[in-house]
Amino acid sequence: MSAFLIRRLLRFVVVCLGVSLVTFSILHASGDPVALIMPEAAEADRAKLREALGLSDPLSTQFVRFVGNAARGDFGRSFFHREPAFRLVVERMPTTLALTCLAVALALAVAVPVGIYSAVFRNTVGDHAATVVVFLGQSMPVFWIGIMLMLLFAVQWRLLPVSGWGTWSSMVLPAVTLGAFTTPLFMRIIRSSMLEVINLDYVRTARAKGLSEWLVICRHALRNAALPIVTVIGLQFGLLLGGAVLTESVFAVPGVGRLIVGAIRQLDFPIVQAGVFLLAMIIVSVNLFVDVLYVYLNPTVRLR
Amino acid sequence: MAVTLPRTAVAYEVALPGASGSRAWRRFALNPAALVGSLILLTMVSVAVAAPWVAPHDPAKQSLLRRFTPPVWQAGGNAAYPLGTDQVGRDVLSRIVHGARVSLLVGVAAVLVSLVVGVAAGLASGFLGGTVDTVIGTVVDVSLSFPQILLALAFVAALGPSLLTIIVVLGLTGWERYARVVRAEVMALREKEFVEAARAIGVGRPRIVVRHVLPNTMSSIVVMSTLQVAQAILAEAALSFLGVGSGNAYPTWGQMISLGRDFVTVAWWLATLPGLAILLTVLAINLVGDRLRDALDPRTT
Amino acid sequence: MKRWLTLMVALILAALVVPIGAGAQGKDTLTVALASNATTLDPHMHFERAGILVNINMFDSLLHRSAKLEFEPSLALSWKALNDTTWEFKLRRGVKFHDGSTMTAEDVKFSFDRVLEPGSEKKKSPQYGNVRAIKEVKIVDADTIQLATDKPFPLLLERLVFFPIVPKKHVEKVGEEAFGSTATVGTGPWKLVEWKRDQHIRLEAFDQHWRGRPAFKYVVFRAIPEVATSVAELKTGGVDIIRNVNADLLPDLKSHPQTRISTTPILRVHYMSLDMRSAPFDKKAARQAANYAIDKQSMIQKMMAGLGKQVATVVQPPAFGFDPSVPPYPYDPKKAKELLAQAGYPNGVDITMHSAFVDFRPHFEALGQMLTEVGLRTTVKMWDPGPAWNKYFQAEGKATNGQYGSWGNYSVFDADAVLHPLYHTEPGGWIGKHYARVEGLDKLIDEGRSSVDPAKRKRIYAEIQRMIREEAPSVFLWTQNDTLGISRKVAYEARPDEWLWLFAAKPAS
Repeated sequence: MSAFLIRRLLRFVVVCLGVSLVTFSILHASGDPVALIMPEAAEADRAKLREALGLSDPLSTQFVRFVGNAARGDFGRSFFHREPAFRLVVERMPTTLALTCLAVALALAVAVPVGIYSAVFRNTVGDHAATVVVFLGQSMPVFWIGIMLMLLFAVQWRLLPVSGWGTWSSMVLPAVTLGAFTTPLFMRIIRSSMLEVINLDYVRTARAKGLSEWLVICRHALRNAALPIVTVIGLQFGLLLGGAVLTESVFAVPGVGRLIVGAIRQLDFPIVQAGVFLLAMIIVSVNLFVDVLYVYLNPTVRLR
Repeated sequence: MAVTLPRTAVAYEVALPGASGSRAWRRFALNPAALVGSLILLTMVSVAVAAPWVAPHDPAKQSLLRRFTPPVWQAGGNAAYPLGTDQVGRDVLSRIVHGARVSLLVGVAAVLVSLVVGVAAGLASGFLGGTVDTVIGTVVDVSLSFPQILLALAFVAALGPSLLTIIVVLGLTGWERYARVVRAEVMALREKEFVEAARAIGVGRPRIVVRHVLPNTMSSIVVMSTLQVAQAILAEAALSFLGVGSGNAYPTWGQMISLGRDFVTVAWWLATLPGLAILLTVLAINLVGDRLRDALDPRTT
Repeated sequence: MKRWLTLMVALILAALVVPIGAGAQGKDTLTVALASNATTLDPHMHFERAGILVNINMFDSLLHRSAKLEFEPSLALSWKALNDTTWEFKLRRGVKFHDGSTMTAEDVKFSFDRVLEPGSEKKKSPQYGNVRAIKEVKIVDADTIQLATDKPFPLLLERLVFFPIVPKKHVEKVGEEAFGSTATVGTGPWKLVEWKRDQHIRLEAFDQHWRGRPAFKYVVFRAIPEVATSVAELKTGGVDIIRNVNADLLPDLKSHPQTRISTTPILRVHYMSLDMRSAPFDKKAARQAANYAIDKQSMIQKMMAGLGKQVATVVQPPAFGFDPSVPPYPYDPKKAKELLAQAGYPNGVDITMHSAFVDFRPHFEALGQMLTEVGLRTTVKMWDPGPAWNKYFQAEGKATNGQYGSWGNYSVFDADAVLHPLYHTEPGGWIGKHYARVEGLDKLIDEGRSSVDPAKRKRIYAEIQRMIREEAPSVFLWTQNDTLGISRKVAYEARPDEWLWLFAAKPAS
């Protein structure tokens, strides 16, 4: 167990370094960042800025400095907001995370019953219908679902606010939009782990003992589905955060995604770096947590 | 890749043991969802291939006189433009038809890029082992740690939007799963006696790859690829929405939605119809992929 | 697991049950949708329209401009030119800042100095270029200041209309960062309550404002990037004013029971700049051909709901120096083809044009089609502002044959404000230094901007307009209207300078 933990932590550190390298290279990907920041300036002015930003040092020195600063949450000041980039990103993080969590919760609320139904009544008309309906959510561009939902629920029927963030009601449409995109993933897992469990001996025994089928499923089968779902949340967290970016734009939600998208357009490198780095760190940490949790909850996993 | 992932999750993400071909095919073909999906997909592909002959008009031909013509079933519709016209009077049906080409091309080409990179990385990782394996494993972990769409956005924006950029960038942000599957298969094979025997009598690695690794991973690769094509089509649409689409030389569905969305209250068909085209296509691909997985997975017999 | 489920269900129910109507605002609140929030509330440290529109309601400048575009006293009660290069301003007495302190001549000097930064080589403020002619700010007495320019600077008063005065002591106390985000203090009608980035800026009426109290107690600027979203918000009462309404949405907003529109011609001219350094637009005949190729009237009628006027050059009627005797190019595709043949392209020629003018993409595509029809076979390239756009500058504009764009003159009503950036070839100019190569034009522009004699300037600008009409360094298109979508509950009208001066807004009776 502890050997596993050490190995896993080591890998975590290595991946963090890799993430730093990619984030670091964003600044250099488009050629000379200074020329992009001040396209009209004279070479002398550019040289000065290059000096000020430390861009004239060897790349290795720059990278070491970047990692050191990143570890302290220092990505420099935003070129446009004139505030520390990291703080701007952190300010918006709770919104994005709340949106993501809400969407996951909604998705589970739909996926669990539908997945169970679909497994129990496998290959019936109901199963196919349920599958298609749920799959619809994953087959539409996220922003398109958002616009359609907004037109129906906010403009046509006036049930919910059009956009914004803060009140519960304003969170419904963004969460449903992002949730619609996540539901099929969960439903598939629940369905297939249900199928796996449903014929196991102990479930059969339980059924034979006369408990109602529903209870059996809840007690025994769902417990088995829980871990894979957690794992997939970890694996798919990047996709979820990507969907959050689009949702945020449609519903004017003040989250990290919108900040980064704006920063990419303005070439505000400190924000892009801080934002991408922090999101990646969250994904890496979620995965670390999931792995450790998994081993902790299920000691029979073979460790290599 | 140090931890064995939970079995179901792996089944979802990665490995699929091969079921016997003909049985799997029968199961797939008899599934109504798969059938419907395949039909839709077939239609879309034929339309895409035959676009110049199917489309009633030149998709680029504008006319200020017939801007915002509604679809034919609405008041003011015109039978010559069955799905209406857009903000500069171009025929929406023709654009959707031609858009099918580009959208499907982006999807398939991006996945081919992923496939090539992923399989190569997986083979290298599995056969060479050691440092190479560790390095590739780390690269996979690192690249799975970024929100794909943001990374793609940053790079497309830096390189300048074009069809080729989109394909390459999307391709390079989706290869990790292939690498994992192929590596796992190679690892499993390496421990098998016949491979060692084959190597002992001088059978080279390329042949082992062709004979054993690829056939064994084929079913998972096919399933993964269908789902990846769906993802790539959606990702292209998302990039168009965020303002860095494939340029404007060709109409894509994502671009049509993106340009039509401002007019959604006065000309609903501009954003809605290409959206439906994406919906149908991606749904069909997802259905086919999902049922393929079911059919190929012996555990769900 | 069960408990989890229960929690989930409870959460969702809670979300649905909580009373709706977050968008609904009280009668004392005016809500405005902007595409984005400014990056800072410090009025000197940005030059974005989104920031200026917020700043003008929180700050005052020395001068104000009425809706009829006349200068009005604001923090300066009166002003006069002492000579060609010195102006004197009498300050209004007893003006209070939001923090309760009284505005003094020190604050005025401080405001200029923080932009001009005398003695420092690198200037922090992006507005430096607008006022760099000012050499010295002198405090004569408690109520009088003098501005000295390095040479005659006819645009000085124009530039002072948006040059907010900030409190010296306060800025020094809280620091620039806090001043631009949480502790913004001015003399304007509203003071800052809260700024939630990318969400809203909330202002509250300032009791001691020298004009008196505005009609709305609260003003909220919401950041809504999507057009469809802001239109939906306007219709459902979530916001009261939206900007830049697309002409195609006008019928919809006009007929909706909750909304109306207000539109006015503004100082914004559309043009296609042509790269005169390379073929085919190195030939005058080819440039003229492009001008004859565009059916401006059709486009204005069909694509802009008639809200625009064709122009002869880039100088617009309300700007100082406009010469009405210069006629616009008529639409004449036959003549265009002839001229193109004359230029050496009897069979047409392939060109590429680009634009970063996202709001007018359909117009750009239509322009491309019209050029194509006379033989200038055009590929249109839309460039989102951002990295690709900057690469264009690095390539000195050589990436394409020309650019479609618009110029808003910084809301300065003078011919120079458009001629210099578009056509002057000196470094520091805008697109002209890449594209324009008209002999003698630089000299004329320089002469025009360094004279304070209105008659002489008028003569010079008339000459320039005839010259560029003939040489055609651009395809001259049309002027544009600013169109606001407004809730029927609010009385407010669009202004010709694109400002949102909300002090003039009232609840509709």
